[in-house]
Amino acid sequence: MDEIIKLIHGDGGKHTSQLIEEIFYKNFQNKYLLDQGDAATFQLGNELISYTTDSFVVKPIFFRGGNIGKLAVCGTVNDLVVSGATPLYLSTGFIIEEGFERKKLEKIVETMRDMCTQANVSIVTGDTKVVEKGSLDEIVINTSGVGVNYSGYKKNKIDAGDKILITGGIGEHGTTIAVDRYHMKISGDYQSDCALLTPFLSVVNEYKEAIKCMRDPTRGGVATVLHEFMKTTEYGICLYEEEIPIKPSIRAVNKLLGFDPLYMACEGRMVLVVKREEADKVLRMLQSIESGKDTCIIGEFAQMEDKMIYSRNSFGGKRIIPELVSSILPRIC
Amino acid sequence: MGKYLRIEEMLSSIHNMDGDSYTIMEVCGSHTEAIKKYGIGELVKPQIRLLSGPGCPVCVTSEDYIDKAIELTKVKDIIITTFGDMLRVKGRKENLLEQKEKGRDIRVLYTPIDAIDLARAHMNKEIIFLAVGFETTAPIIALAIKKARQEKLHNLSFYIGLKRMKPILRYIFNDSDHGIKGLICPGHVASVVGEHYFEFISKEYGISGVIAGFESKDVVQALYYLSLNKEKSGYFNNLYRQCVSYQGNQKAIELMEEVFDDCDAKLRGIGIIEGAGFHIQKEYVEYDASVRYQLEEHNVNKMTDKEINKCQDIKRNKCVCSDILLGKSEPKDCPLYGGKCTPEHPVGPCMISGEGSCAISYKYLV
Repeated sequence: MDEIIKLIHGDGGKHTSQLIEEIFYKNFQNKYLLDQGDAATFQLGNELISYTTDSFVVKPIFFRGGNIGKLAVCGTVNDLVVSGATPLYLSTGFIIEEGFERKKLEKIVETMRDMCTQANVSIVTGDTKVVEKGSLDEIVINTSGVGVNYSGYKKNKIDAGDKILITGGIGEHGTTIAVDRYHMKISGDYQSDCALLTPFLSVVNEYKEAIKCMRDPTRGGVATVLHEFMKTTEYGICLYEEEIPIKPSIRAVNKLLGFDPLYMACEGRMVLVVKREEADKVLRMLQSIESGKDTCIIGEFAQMEDKMIYSRNSFGGKRIIPELVSSILPRIC
Repeated sequence: MGKYLRIEEMLSSIHNMDGDSYTIMEVCGSHTEAIKKYGIGELVKPQIRLLSGPGCPVCVTSEDYIDKAIELTKVKDIIITTFGDMLRVKGRKENLLEQKEKGRDIRVLYTPIDAIDLARAHMNKEIIFLAVGFETTAPIIALAIKKARQEKLHNLSFYIGLKRMKPILRYIFNDSDHGIKGLICPGHVASVVGEHYFEFISKEYGISGVIAGFESKDVVQALYYLSLNKEKSGYFNNLYRQCVSYQGNQKAIELMEEVFDDCDAKLRGIGIIEGAGFHIQKEYVEYDASVRYQLEEHNVNKMTDKEINKCQDIKRNKCVCSDILLGKSEPKDCPLYGGKCTPEHPVGPCMISGEGSCAISYKYLV
């Protein structure tokens, strides 16, 4: 056990999970928390409520495709959507460093306003703190969100043959942040994919029996989400390497940086595990939605002697996709 | 000649090869990564046995170098700058990442040219760049040193840990036990030093060589051509002509020769190799961190007793890194691999860096 909290504990990989289990789960034990979903879901009167929270520390706070405010709304709204809930109300807390430019704060908040309008949610309560210069790096935002699960969606047991879908190109947010943080002087067709997943709620409603589970692959990327799914089942995962959608510019930048897009954060994508027989129908419905037009089936769960995630390429080569142990990636969300 | 084969066709041809298993080595971290990432090593067995040589400059950086870099982090008003993959490599006890977590000023740069911007922006601080790499990296380090002098920057220096490929290859091939019949020559190094730099392997040692790129098709093609010409002793071909010319990048070579001369180098897990290092020439000595900070010259022409003992220690612990680095063994031959030695608890250099053979094997091996 580490005596001090290190940056690696915030990476979203193995060390983060360990810290959460050893300190937070150990002390805050209850069935909702230990369900380990992106949101907690519980009955309140006649309604099935989902409730989630997230904090945002991204650097830089303004990046190609968005800013910390956009992330703060999308991140929390999306966690509700992947729990099957229709997002309704958000809270937000700001901790601001003394000397932060007012213009920047206004821009961030205006973006949050616009995202809330798009998502049809309201920020109904909030808090503001200002701290001394040097005690915080510019700004930190927390958002919590509440939604109602109207469809009655709940997670289902994963079976062999279940297909894995992703709603668009991977690794775009993480890569965009990395380019900024490593001061790479490149121009190209890349930007954060930060976006709302609310348009996909109609698919969740329509196919709630067929969708076994869903997640948005933020910190740690698609690979980390797939490992989380695999922990809940006896089956391993076989991915189809050439089907994994990666924009050419994202592929190129990751090659330069020596990173793998499978581990880079997405902030506007959904990973779904779908019953084999319904996978094509779910695929077509997602593709009919503008923000889901690049949805692909990228793999499936399968019976294996040694449970693992591997990716098979077109000429028969295979590689293991291990769990993210550590990374030196900059903060991305 | 002239017909473009698909990967499956080349693999099929390799599988139809007669005779004993053909041992081929590659000496480039990017080739090691490509082979593992595409699962090529498994696909060409048993006709081809692929070995990974000392192509990871971070893996072969001595513990001494890391320890001295760690000492430098403790000096007041110093910023240590480095390539990212150096952070996790352990010296005798600790690594630079652990120093960073303690609050020392260590910054990851993508290019050494950024160290110049940093030096300009922090005139009250001393900036040191940890210059590790092969001939691929040496020209850009030389360029950074020249630029620093042109701009009359006096608060920037470079701690040189660069290595030369040719003396290391000679060291491997001079060992009569090596068993290597073919070499995939490192495409990036070759793009700098030229095709002619590698011809010695066929002319002097009768070993076949192919210069190759890094896509899956490039690597399979390299193996295909080597296996096709298995009977020809000393076959040599440049399959990366889009990047590699016969003479190499003259401008880059001139830069290297202007700023550096050669010296002996200590390679982790292997020992001293004559002429395998780079040393800043007298004209640019102001930018040599080992002189500026009076670090004991780490490329000394002898191993200390401590280091000899350490190499023995490693052997006693049954770590076979030195054999793996020299292509005599594979990661799975090591009794510690995957058990006592994993990426989280590495014992030897091959597991320490992300580009090391054992680390890559562990990451990808099915």
